[in-house]
Amino acid sequence: METNFAKLSRYFLFLCRRERIASPVWIIALTAATVIFGSVYPGMLPDEAAMQQMAATMNNPAMIAMMGPVYGMEDLSPSSLMSQQCLVWVLVAAAIMNVFLVNRHSRVDEELGRLEMFRAMPVGRMTGAVATALFAFCVNLLISVLTAVSLLIMNMDGTTAAGAFAYGLAIGAVGMVFAALTLLAAQLFSTARGVTGFGMVALGILYVLRAMGDVRENALSIVSPLGLALRPEAFYENNYWPLFLLALEFANIILLALGICAYRDHGMGLLPAGKGRAYASQALRSPMGLAWRLSIKSTLAWGAGMLLLGIAYGSVCTQIESFLENNPTMKEMVFQNDQSSILDNYVAVIYSLMAMLASVPVMLSAMRIHGEEKHGRLEQIFAKRVWRIDFFIAFLFIGLMESFLMLLLLSTGLEVSSGGALDSATQLAAGLVYLPAVWCMTGIAVFFVGVLPKLTPAVWAIFAYSFFMSYFGRMLDFPEWVIKATPFGSTPRLPIEDFAAQPLAVYITLTVVLLTCGIARFRVRDIGRV
Amino acid sequence: MDVIEIKGLVKNFGKLTALRGVDLNVKQGEVHAFLGPNGAGKSTTIRCLLGILRATKGSVKMFGLDAWNYAVPLHKRVAFVPGDVNLWNNFTGGEVIDLFLSLSGRTPNPKKRAEYLARFELDPTKKCRTYSKGNRQKVALVAAFSGDADLFVLDEPTSGLDPLMEKAFQDAIQEVKAEGKTVLLSSHIMSEVEKLADSVSIIRDGKIVEGGSMASIAAKAKGRTLEEFFLSEYEEK
Repeated sequence: METNFAKLSRYFLFLCRRERIASPVWIIALTAATVIFGSVYPGMLPDEAAMQQMAATMNNPAMIAMMGPVYGMEDLSPSSLMSQQCLVWVLVAAAIMNVFLVNRHSRVDEELGRLEMFRAMPVGRMTGAVATALFAFCVNLLISVLTAVSLLIMNMDGTTAAGAFAYGLAIGAVGMVFAALTLLAAQLFSTARGVTGFGMVALGILYVLRAMGDVRENALSIVSPLGLALRPEAFYENNYWPLFLLALEFANIILLALGICAYRDHGMGLLPAGKGRAYASQALRSPMGLAWRLSIKSTLAWGAGMLLLGIAYGSVCTQIESFLENNPTMKEMVFQNDQSSILDNYVAVIYSLMAMLASVPVMLSAMRIHGEEKHGRLEQIFAKRVWRIDFFIAFLFIGLMESFLMLLLLSTGLEVSSGGALDSATQLAAGLVYLPAVWCMTGIAVFFVGVLPKLTPAVWAIFAYSFFMSYFGRMLDFPEWVIKATPFGSTPRLPIEDFAAQPLAVYITLTVVLLTCGIARFRVRDIGRV
Repeated sequence: MDVIEIKGLVKNFGKLTALRGVDLNVKQGEVHAFLGPNGAGKSTTIRCLLGILRATKGSVKMFGLDAWNYAVPLHKRVAFVPGDVNLWNNFTGGEVIDLFLSLSGRTPNPKKRAEYLARFELDPTKKCRTYSKGNRQKVALVAAFSGDADLFVLDEPTSGLDPLMEKAFQDAIQEVKAEGKTVLLSSHIMSEVEKLADSVSIIRDGKIVEGGSMASIAAKAKGRTLEEFFLSEYEEK
């Protein structure tokens, strides 16, 4: 029935207008990511020896688990090395973009009753969903083409048109599959939160599947769209068939989502919402109880995530050892570069990155206060007999507990799956040494929430900066002080560096100052003006 | 033929039965008040009428056509205003009104649009994020009244309006009624109902428990005020 799609073009234009800021920002950011990578790789890889060296550091289970399979070892170029190390991160970012993009035009609109008004007009049942899918398609196509064209313009050694488009289209293809998955989730779940949660969990699971499949070199990897998108081997094989498979996956999931959309009741999800309690439990009836209730789901989800990541990274520990025994040249090279074992190096790298991830739920517990304020709920709380400081500290207490919990779960995961390769005391210390850094990050969040509530989202910019510096700072030859001037950069990287109390003391002092400022200001400032 | 004909409408959500046999008829040119306590099934009935919920049993017709199967062509003649209007933060009120009018497939009437903007005292150049609940509702009302709809489906459309705007709303309803248009008005404001409605249906627990012309209701009320009568009808017996 063509009435299912009535007013499609008008609706599509409406989406374009709505997205006039958000989508261009994402398109530019995702294209810029590749441009930045592409502009630094040739400089890092001046000759064949440098390329061989980088290729060798990639070719181990830990790196393969993180970044995907290696290829083209006999025909190395800056282009192919860049693609092997960076593409997977762009894919992850594209997936996240699509979850947000599709959700805000499907379930978010439906939950807020906006779609209901459209459905009361001569607008087709599927118009909104189809227009959203079309719009996502255009955005992803644009990112693909812009990325490919940028690569061609930069023209690194080894760049070919076939390779540039294999790389660019892989990004769009993964984006499309996640757009489709999100549209499907929007039919299944009756809340926008449920849809975002589904999207993020799906991304996590598919990333881990890819990692497991790539390390064990089995088909598990291509079950995941992320794994499939790495199979074109851009700038080497330039196979396009995995991208066609992704397009096929996209088409199938979209058709399923539209099929459900045409027949389900508006405002409902396919999965029923359960009944809740008639009375609040005793534990809920206090600021602490409220903070607990608002945090618990996120705590559990992040905790499970940390444990799983720990297990995933731990499971390759034994393989690193056996890998080294079979590769004497590699072993020699690693020991030339560092006094420590490669396993220690691995542990240090994993902790430096995972500790940052572990700080996110802790920061979120402070940011939650901001969320409550922004949505006008804080006014209701403080209209009652509640001390502001009690309320604030309740959330911070949850955060403190989370900081221990996350790092411990990460260590536990690494330990149980490492098959005895890791010394438990050493690696536990390697994790817990990041506690002051996690607190410091949270201190920054508290400072913003208390003193500069309008600028609270800036916390994520600081976090992104820290993450970028820890991950790429040394690779991209930033000055050492720039790398260290983050809430994480100066923490001693046990076990490959010696323990040093001084930077930790600095972090703790900073945390105390930031917390004091934030809380003191929060006690006296206007509430609800954010 | 009545403009709205609902017969034996049953709606289940899984195991829950929201509507258990609703009958509702609205004649051409009348203002029909649709009353009932929260959760009784008013909005569910309206959503079935708009073809966005599918009836489990029974028939739902507008202008003689099935409300689900002919939803899109029917909606060219319908204007809908919900009680809780959510809009897009980065759109101005004027942009939303034009969007709604163009999606409704009606020829834009600049004179009417300007007239209703003035009557509801709405500044169309402001972004929706700055509007209060009442102002967001006005956006939907201006869009509804400045397109030439034949049927107005209004689900608590005045819940955020001040008394002056309430008056402007009542005037607008009386004018469209004078033009022979039909109105289905769900409301909790008894004075509004008393002033505007020609006939009434009261829904409770998914069934119509009382209905008829205002005159017949007044007779049944036997000297009680309308409010007292409705209250007694709302209560479980």
